Amino acid sequence: MAQSPASTPASSPAAEPSTGGISSKGLSAGSVGLLGATVIGISCIAPAYTLTASLGPTVAAVGTQMPGIFMVGFIPMLLVALGYRELNNAMPDAGTSFTWATRAFGPWLGWMGGWGLIVATVVVLSNLAGVAVDFFYLMLAQLFGNPDLADLAANVWINILTCLVFMVGACYVSYRGMETTKMVQYVLVAFQLLVLVWFSVAALLHFSNGTAFDALGFSIDWFNPFLTPSFSAFAAGVSLSIFIYWGWDVTLTMNEETKDPETTPGRAATLTVGIIFALYILVSVSALMFSGVGTGELGLGNEDIQGNVFAALAGPVMGPFAILMSLAVLSSSAASLQSTFVGPARTMLAMGHYKAFPNRFAAISPRFKSPGFATVMAGVVAWGFYAVMRVLSTDVLTDTILTLGIMICFYYGVTAFACVWFFRREVFGSARAFFLKLLAPLVGGVILAVIFATTLIDSTNPDYGSGSEIGGVGLVFILAIVLFVAGIVLMFIMRAVNPAFFQGKTLTKGVSREKA
Amino acid sequence: MTRVPNYVVAYEATPQGREALELGVAMARLTEAELRICLVLQRLGAAPAKIHAASSDFEVLLAKQAHEWLGTAAGWVPADVTATTHLLWADSTSEGLIQAAADLDSDRIVVGAARGGLFNRFTIGSVANALLHASPVPVALAPQGYSAPTQITRITCAIGTRPGWETLLDSVVALTEGLEVDLRFVTLVEVDAAREKQSPVAAGSSAHLDTVLAYYQRHAHSQGDISTEVGSGSSVEKAVEALDWRPDELAFVGSSRLAAPSTIFLGITAHRMLHALPVPLVVVPTSPARS
Repeated sequence: MAQSPASTPASSPAAEPSTGGISSKGLSAGSVGLLGATVIGISCIAPAYTLTASLGPTVAAVGTQMPGIFMVGFIPMLLVALGYRELNNAMPDAGTSFTWATRAFGPWLGWMGGWGLIVATVVVLSNLAGVAVDFFYLMLAQLFGNPDLADLAANVWINILTCLVFMVGACYVSYRGMETTKMVQYVLVAFQLLVLVWFSVAALLHFSNGTAFDALGFSIDWFNPFLTPSFSAFAAGVSLSIFIYWGWDVTLTMNEETKDPETTPGRAATLTVGIIFALYILVSVSALMFSGVGTGELGLGNEDIQGNVFAALAGPVMGPFAILMSLAVLSSSAASLQSTFVGPARTMLAMGHYKAFPNRFAAISPRFKSPGFATVMAGVVAWGFYAVMRVLSTDVLTDTILTLGIMICFYYGVTAFACVWFFRREVFGSARAFFLKLLAPLVGGVILAVIFATTLIDSTNPDYGSGSEIGGVGLVFILAIVLFVAGIVLMFIMRAVNPAFFQGKTLTKGVSREKA
Repeated sequence: MTRVPNYVVAYEATPQGREALELGVAMARLTEAELRICLVLQRLGAAPAKIHAASSDFEVLLAKQAHEWLGTAAGWVPADVTATTHLLWADSTSEGLIQAAADLDSDRIVVGAARGGLFNRFTIGSVANALLHASPVPVALAPQGYSAPTQITRITCAIGTRPGWETLLDSVVALTEGLEVDLRFVTLVEVDAAREKQSPVAAGSSAHLDTVLAYYQRHAHSQGDISTEVGSGSSVEKAVEALDWRPDELAFVGSSRLAAPSTIFLGITAHRMLHALPVPLVVVPTSPARS
């Protein structure tokens, strides 16, 4: 029998001599359909987690205008995501804000773009873990009918140690290179949607039976974002809305994985945002009608429950079925916790590889083929950040969410301007290019920049967020500044230690036209 | 035209990968085969996370690193053995290896089996374990700390009395054709320590070995010494330890009758053998379904 040469269709694991390139790419090509892509989109957004973390801070900022703010908050996200998609198509070999921003703006802003993403992740990881810890003890309390167990989460040291256990678990799963299977994703998403709708319907029933905590009659004005009391409040609300849609843009950039790259990503993105829109408005309206915006025990204005609203509301609203809400939030935050490790780890790996970070970050685990060192570092830093915040802040969840809003505005803004700058020579070529490569990202970027500046200035006020302060300055502002300054300092240290990246020797700047 | 046999080496840049390569070299020398050093990378999924985990950067860097690993591995192959390197993407490592064996028309998959086992013995890793339940070609398992001897001097074939042993024997016949290597046929017998040594079971085993020997001599054309032995002990592990093992020896064992036609399924006895075996083990699949 003669040996047959390895002829390999793109869909099978190809074997080829090492002299050639990669015959089939690493992505699971063409395996995701419309439903799958939509599930991935909703799964990224993790609505149960997102809502419990953001409802309180949003009401604190804009009161009853929450539904309206949730609607306008989507606009900058959409505009930036459109530009993002163009970048993704133009530079398919670059995966992160770091590589894009470096190609468009050169090493300095590129470095800060990567830093913004890493910092945002570290902050969201600590918030996710915090929510998971709260719900973990709440679920134990519900399970054993012993409310004292839920109070364990209030003990700082128990809380920090439980968070460490969760972080180590999530980090380990990512280090092993394991991913959530499709089936698990479907179940988690369906469960979250079901429980959130259940919660809303139960809250509305309480309202109509007259058993709501602080019944607030529905008003169409809630949908008018221009009734927001001040521009500062508006900016804070939009910044939070960006957080609640964060992750949606993933569907738009899923090209190769989808069965039909021409239509599937766009349809999935539309379907995802339709479902999320309906859900957010249903939940926010019903929560307002049940709880009101007062500062009473269950009022959405109560600072003690703001950071984790469902933990307080699920019991009174859903009665004995509140444990389902605990399960939904716990599973959604635990799944997000694990998957969120992947992004920053890969960004740090890329930064390590291009000499923008120390070499060790470029290490790939020979056994699990995952960015080993970078994953562990992400876990260590996120936990350290959480532990410090737990001690410093009176309401760690609210403060981290507000900081996060600022960070997301920053790195999305950088990406939006990167798009405009990168495509600057070809935007007048066609109406489509003008709209998608210039207008959309430019407007989106400008909105984000304004929101970023406004919230940053407002956060100097010690009353901002949880009211935690250091020396009369709001903790959220200090956090944001410390994180940015730390980035700039580290950047200069890296520049001094290994200038190759900053001299453009490892990753070069370019304009879209040069490629052709 | 004579076909040059080739073996897939399941490589990764770990001690286990190195051991697989060493065993590949030893077997390639024995049978004048070529090596296909394969490194399997897991296909990246669309990780659903708020942060873009776009895989493209990572994918390129991962492939680059993998090529470096393969380059190092190729450097370890001695001059008297021909080897090529291959980078593969698959949903799982074992799936990729089985596909590679099919694509490359390979005769065996060589894998480092050990994961933290004690005293140079086997503890089976997950990839090896997956192969041992699905591979359509023989799977060779390298024990921990294995390094290739200059020459394999003996092949031991562990033969059970149950139907199906001919398949294993045919495979050994094919391998040893024209080779100068000693052959040993053994059966393992569990005896109750309290009873006397020459139990009826052991006597039956000796008789069975004679049948095996007769079958082998009818079919084979190898040139080494042939011997038979019965290993007995209070357990399979003890029975394996009761036999002498050379460092430059290979062991062969067949698949369980539970296996689907033409695939491997490591039976319970063979599994327990592994725990006590100090030499590489080749597991042979069942014969194709008779139509």
